[in-house]
Amino acid sequence: MTVDFLIDWFSTIGNFPILAFILAVVISGIPLFLFMALNAMVAVYAERKVSAFMMDRIGPMGQGPGLHAGKWGLLQTVADAIKLLVKEDTIPQTSDKLLFKMAPFIIFIGAFLGLAAVPFNSSLQVVDFNVGVFYIIAVGSIGVIGIVMAGWSSNNKWSLYGAMRSAAQIISYEIPAGLSIIIPIMMAGTMNLQTMIQFQSGSIWGILPNWIIFNNPFTFLAFFIFFISAVAETNRTPFDIPEAESELVAGWMTEYSGFRWAVFFLSEYANMFVVSGLAVAGFLGGWQSPIPGMFDSAGWGLFWFMVKVIFLIFLMMWFRWTFPRLRVDQLMHVCWKVFIPIAMFNIFGVGIWKLIIG
Amino acid sequence: MGVVQTDQMVLNIGPQHPSTHGVLRLEVMTDGEIVSQIKPHLGYLHRCFEKHSENVTYEQVIPFTDRCDYLASMNSNFGYVVTMEELMEIKVSDRVEYIRVIMGELNRIASHLLALGVYGLDIGAFTPFLYMLRDRERILDMFEYTCGARLLYNYMWVGGVSHDLPKDFEKICIGFLDYFEPQIEEYNNLLTYNKIFIERTADVGVIPADVAISYGVSGPNLRGSGVNWDVRKDEPYSIYDRFEFDVPIGEGKFGTLGDCFDRYWVRMLEIKESVRILRQALKDLPSGDVHQALPKKIRPPKGSIYRRTESPRGDLGYYIISDGSPIPSRVKMRSPAFTALSCLDEVSKGWMISDVIAILGSLDIVLGEIDR
Amino acid sequence: MYKYFTNIYETVNTLWTGMRITFRHMIHIKRDNVTLQYPEERWPRPERNIGFDHKDYNVIRSRLHVDIDDCIGCLKCERVCPVDCITINTIKTPTRGEDISEVNHTGETSNGTKKAMVVSRFTIDMSECCYCNLCVYPCPEECIFMVGGPNSSKHPIDYEFSQFDRKDLIYQFAKKLTPDQKKKLESPKPEVEA
Repeated sequence: MTVDFLIDWFSTIGNFPILAFILAVVISGIPLFLFMALNAMVAVYAERKVSAFMMDRIGPMGQGPGLHAGKWGLLQTVADAIKLLVKEDTIPQTSDKLLFKMAPFIIFIGAFLGLAAVPFNSSLQVVDFNVGVFYIIAVGSIGVIGIVMAGWSSNNKWSLYGAMRSAAQIISYEIPAGLSIIIPIMMAGTMNLQTMIQFQSGSIWGILPNWIIFNNPFTFLAFFIFFISAVAETNRTPFDIPEAESELVAGWMTEYSGFRWAVFFLSEYANMFVVSGLAVAGFLGGWQSPIPGMFDSAGWGLFWFMVKVIFLIFLMMWFRWTFPRLRVDQLMHVCWKVFIPIAMFNIFGVGIWKLIIG
Repeated sequence: MGVVQTDQMVLNIGPQHPSTHGVLRLEVMTDGEIVSQIKPHLGYLHRCFEKHSENVTYEQVIPFTDRCDYLASMNSNFGYVVTMEELMEIKVSDRVEYIRVIMGELNRIASHLLALGVYGLDIGAFTPFLYMLRDRERILDMFEYTCGARLLYNYMWVGGVSHDLPKDFEKICIGFLDYFEPQIEEYNNLLTYNKIFIERTADVGVIPADVAISYGVSGPNLRGSGVNWDVRKDEPYSIYDRFEFDVPIGEGKFGTLGDCFDRYWVRMLEIKESVRILRQALKDLPSGDVHQALPKKIRPPKGSIYRRTESPRGDLGYYIISDGSPIPSRVKMRSPAFTALSCLDEVSKGWMISDVIAILGSLDIVLGEIDR
Repeated sequence: MYKYFTNIYETVNTLWTGMRITFRHMIHIKRDNVTLQYPEERWPRPERNIGFDHKDYNVIRSRLHVDIDDCIGCLKCERVCPVDCITINTIKTPTRGEDISEVNHTGETSNGTKKAMVVSRFTIDMSECCYCNLCVYPCPEECIFMVGGPNSSKHPIDYEFSQFDRKDLIYQFAKKLTPDQKKKLESPKPEVEA
């Protein structure tokens, strides 16, 4: 959308199609990158505070004179970022240096490209693909290559274990996630995220908003399967076995420090945002207002979208600070023996439902 | 093209690793995720406790016993002073005995809380760990109130205790117990009954009773295997025969008898039993002088003695040889965590790396005591 | 099949129970918070009444302090220390219980005991100290103690005594004697070594 709009606008100035395309991409890409950094900062702060409150602590706080982390520790993540940027960037001597340096960028690209298709509101979306859902799912799995590269090139046994676990896990959980996201596609009859969201306008039974999650029991179930698979895809507890702190020290990130590690962190939180955004667009009505017919201007649309995404991210944090982690084989068990059968059953059920009720 | 290597991989877990509970190095032979052999390497925390003891007087040994099992220093002191008193044939007053039992049981709760919390951390649950540490902190506050120290107390002396209880200690302690008992249910709801936790621990790392006995495993680890053996009950020392309490044993609640969950669950039940003992002890705490039986000079007669007590980790035995001088000729400590670690190889063969961490955590080892 | 579904139900049920607990703690953070913002807030040191007669026995384990004017140089604390972090050198005074003004030596302790020794060196290496409190009990003059506790009126609690250099943790309590003064004191009789 934004890119298309910019290209159109440039074409009114003059006829330079290639330059216009590049300019449009850069102009819309920079704010996206800034948004990604901001998202990571806010999310890290929120994660610290949420975890602290759940554990009866108060988290980062700044008090008293001198250097401190601002009121309520608001500057804590800024300080963290500065620390990471000025930190010594160590590369292990026996590592595969080219791959070691490339890995963070590949992971970053995966997250960044995913963010490009997230529909913030009816017009604020960098690119509106006609296969938006498919695109986000496809781009989301680029990160696996980076993770495997990071793990292999570090030349560290922990990293290798982490990378292999991560690859197995992410590839497995793509399947239930994909099978569940088919359901909104079936309901709306499109892969385009904007059309899918517009399909969810109005209300059902007069009270509930006409979101796909409330449409029928199968979609309700599908949302949870998709969301839990998304949690697994972003490597967060209870599925954080690739970076299981008590087992693998830090998994595939063990040898990374400084800015490279910060990039991993940035990507993790951007990934969380992307998968939450997809869940919101697919099941929770995207930027539609929860009260049908009210607050549905474009500005409110952005607000509702962010509220829903932040709620899902909070849910992920809530999971993380409550649950223990699964073992590798149990993780696979949950994926192949629980989620995939139920997801397939859901597709069947939704098909029947659509056939009978319409 | 080279030949594909299909050897087993050696993985060093530790000495710097988040979940080896100290500085332990495990040399693990792995085939992918599956572990085929574990060699524990000890000695990173060796501080020559036994050799030190041969060069200091009997009373100076007590601060060193603190530092062996630093999570249950009171119980370490307790074992030593009980042994010394039997060697010197000192009869301490009832108040001293009651204070010792109160302190020992409080420290048992504190130690078990840390063991359970850290076990949750090993499995990946962070929050229960902090809840348990929060409550442990209150116990440490009570210790600080009583003797000034929070971790290494040097509280029990041969023939007495260093300080009498503060005047309002009973009230504080009862208040703590009233607060604490409902918390146990919360831990259970948060961690113990969590399905993921059960899946991770039940049926994992089974120690059958005969294996446990042949390796000399003791304490909650042995009771988790279904063997009813508690020194407090079977060879009562101090005044443990006056209290009414049960010895919880594992029953395979969610899996096989003697698995990680049983060992965890036995500790949880033992906390409840300790609370029971504490309530009884606080109720009939007699008055008296805690320094009345202190010997002028600790100079035991020639001879030797072995006495064991129940520390939170198991049978803590002291073997003391006296040659009649004020300096012990030999002090040997039989450490329960050492024997528990010795069965790690046998138990964790064929399990995954994640399970090795879970098994190691369920054994509740303290490296300070293993290396001494 | 039945077990499959009960398993799923149990999982969801128990996980939801756990989530409820953490959520409850999160919304009641104001009530449940246990964090202490350390440099600004400090844990109140409970008023201790340790119940028996020896009021000056300490129930706090912090920095050791010696009231050197009360020290009679009996070496009991040095002997009892399990890690040998206390070192005391003494010089015998010519007359027992007499002030020696040039070295600021007082002849009597606050308890009235007449001193027979000038303590020429009293060092405690706090980096070695194991805070076992054993040196406090045998002192006949109760001059070595851990700061805070019942002595807090004289010496408030001090647990923040970290130093940049390890040497700074060796505390010197004896009054400084110049070599001349030392020689003069030692001249009648040879030094009494610890």
